[in-house]
Amino acid sequence: MTLSTQERRDGTRRPWSRIAPVSGRRFRQARVGLLFVAPMLLLFIVFRFVPTAGAFLLSLTDYSLSGEWSFIGVDNYTRLAGDDLFREALIVTLTYVVVFVPLTVLLSLGTALLLHQVVWGRGFFRGVFFLPYVTSIVLAAVIWKWIYDAEDGLLNGLLGLVSAGPVDFLGRAGAVLPSIAVTSAWKGFGYSMLILLAGLQSIPRSFTEAAMIDGAGAWQRFRHITLPLLRPVLFFVLVIETIQAFQVFDAMYVMTGGGPVRASYSLVYLLYDSGFKFFDFGYASAIGLMLFAVVLVVSLVQRRFVGRED
Amino acid sequence: MLLALTAIVTITPFAAMVLVAFAPPSGRTFPDAFIPSNVTWENFQNVLSGSDIGRWTLNSLVYSLSSVVLILLFASMAGYAFAKKRFPGREMMFWAFLATLMVPFQATLIPTYILVSKLGWVDGYWGLVVPTLANSQAVFLMRQFISQLPDELFEAAEMDGASEWRIYTTIVLPLVRPALATLGVFVFLWHWNDFLWPLVVGQSGEMQTLTVGLATLQAENVPINQIMAGATITVLPSLLVFGLLQRYLTDSIATTGIKG
Repeated sequence: MTLSTQERRDGTRRPWSRIAPVSGRRFRQARVGLLFVAPMLLLFIVFRFVPTAGAFLLSLTDYSLSGEWSFIGVDNYTRLAGDDLFREALIVTLTYVVVFVPLTVLLSLGTALLLHQVVWGRGFFRGVFFLPYVTSIVLAAVIWKWIYDAEDGLLNGLLGLVSAGPVDFLGRAGAVLPSIAVTSAWKGFGYSMLILLAGLQSIPRSFTEAAMIDGAGAWQRFRHITLPLLRPVLFFVLVIETIQAFQVFDAMYVMTGGGPVRASYSLVYLLYDSGFKFFDFGYASAIGLMLFAVVLVVSLVQRRFVGRED
Repeated sequence: MLLALTAIVTITPFAAMVLVAFAPPSGRTFPDAFIPSNVTWENFQNVLSGSDIGRWTLNSLVYSLSSVVLILLFASMAGYAFAKKRFPGREMMFWAFLATLMVPFQATLIPTYILVSKLGWVDGYWGLVVPTLANSQAVFLMRQFISQLPDELFEAAEMDGASEWRIYTTIVLPLVRPALATLGVFVFLWHWNDFLWPLVVGQSGEMQTLTVGLATLQAENVPINQIMAGATITVLPSLLVFGLLQRYLTDSIATTGIKG
């Protein structure tokens, strides 16, 4: 091994002095490269890699606000397994995912298909649909909380005009998650719509034209040409939105405070409370890692499922 | 038809926000707030005098703008190194950076917070800004754009004896200006709209950002007209950016898939 380090790629062996000019340039490149990466590398080490490793270690400890800690092994995880609060938060999160993901994907796909067909005013409509995406979920939550308000809200005002309601959208256990999902979908569908629209535009027009000549109807063209060709893009959108849905917190924090009776108390909400209300840092880290694991598993399963279909 | 209807539904919440913000404090219910005859600035005056909204705006500006400058600088430097320089550990480092995209921020929230508090940075600008600078998407994008620049350019500059810093500032940065602009706009929006990290790290009213402040107002039984006035103020910079750069933003999402 010591010999091979002195060997050049072409196998010729040379004394170090004679390859100095080449390695000098290489050395300079390496030094410059490392110097230019250094600020980012430092930031990543300190604020990404250390916290990720820290999350693992922390989840195996009982870490108190004062900074005292003791190693307790997998106790936090066994505690999670028996914690009703965690089980409820997991169910709330899964329910939210099941409601939100189809809603937002269908909404983005629908608007993308509509936009793909129009010629006039496409830019204008694209802008309108994208507008909510540039705002914050907190803003969306604040506005929609009023829209849903049982007494003064816009929706109940409209329902009142046709002598219906009032419906307490955020105050009823069965309605609260769909209501929040609608708010998040409104805020975010513009992004997926743009991705899907770009996907639609990359499908050669000749494909659908040929099918039309063969007498295929609109639904058949969509089912047998558009959908299969759009699958990779659709998959990307599905994964992104699902991962996003598992991290739901902001809207619930602002709109319901997790209520009514924890009907909108998500995993991240539990993580936040465990950390910053009960200062149970070890336990909160264990929840964070469960979230990490769930997100990882879901994207792997999704990849398998969608990838295999054809 | 369907398209126009969807567009109207999409825009209605914004319209409602503005109408309620300008309605007199008495008109808080649905039909009353929509009578445009009695438009008033009262809600804006009240929310400005009754809350720290000015300070929150300053905090949001500091958070967003300093992040834009620092992320653009560090990410373009790293992107240049990853794209054009050979150094030990290059591939490994790059993939390690990208791998952090897989870890949800919430999973590392607690250790990051403990770290920041050990540094004595809680409730201050350092704690707010610095931990959010390690941005994988920014590094990835800059590497993509810089690797498209022809190598001959750099070889020629090197032969002319230009220093690396000079090559970076006079060749790399001007050539990737469009990419920097796009990334800058997205970084601004991400940080302007960010919630969880500012919520955790800025505990006192003094250090809250606009999004956190808005959530606080909401929780404090402030009249809805004032909240909507605050919301309108919060959304203005985003709308401004959107209005000026709409085509630019939408095109870059379609081609690069930048996600907030």
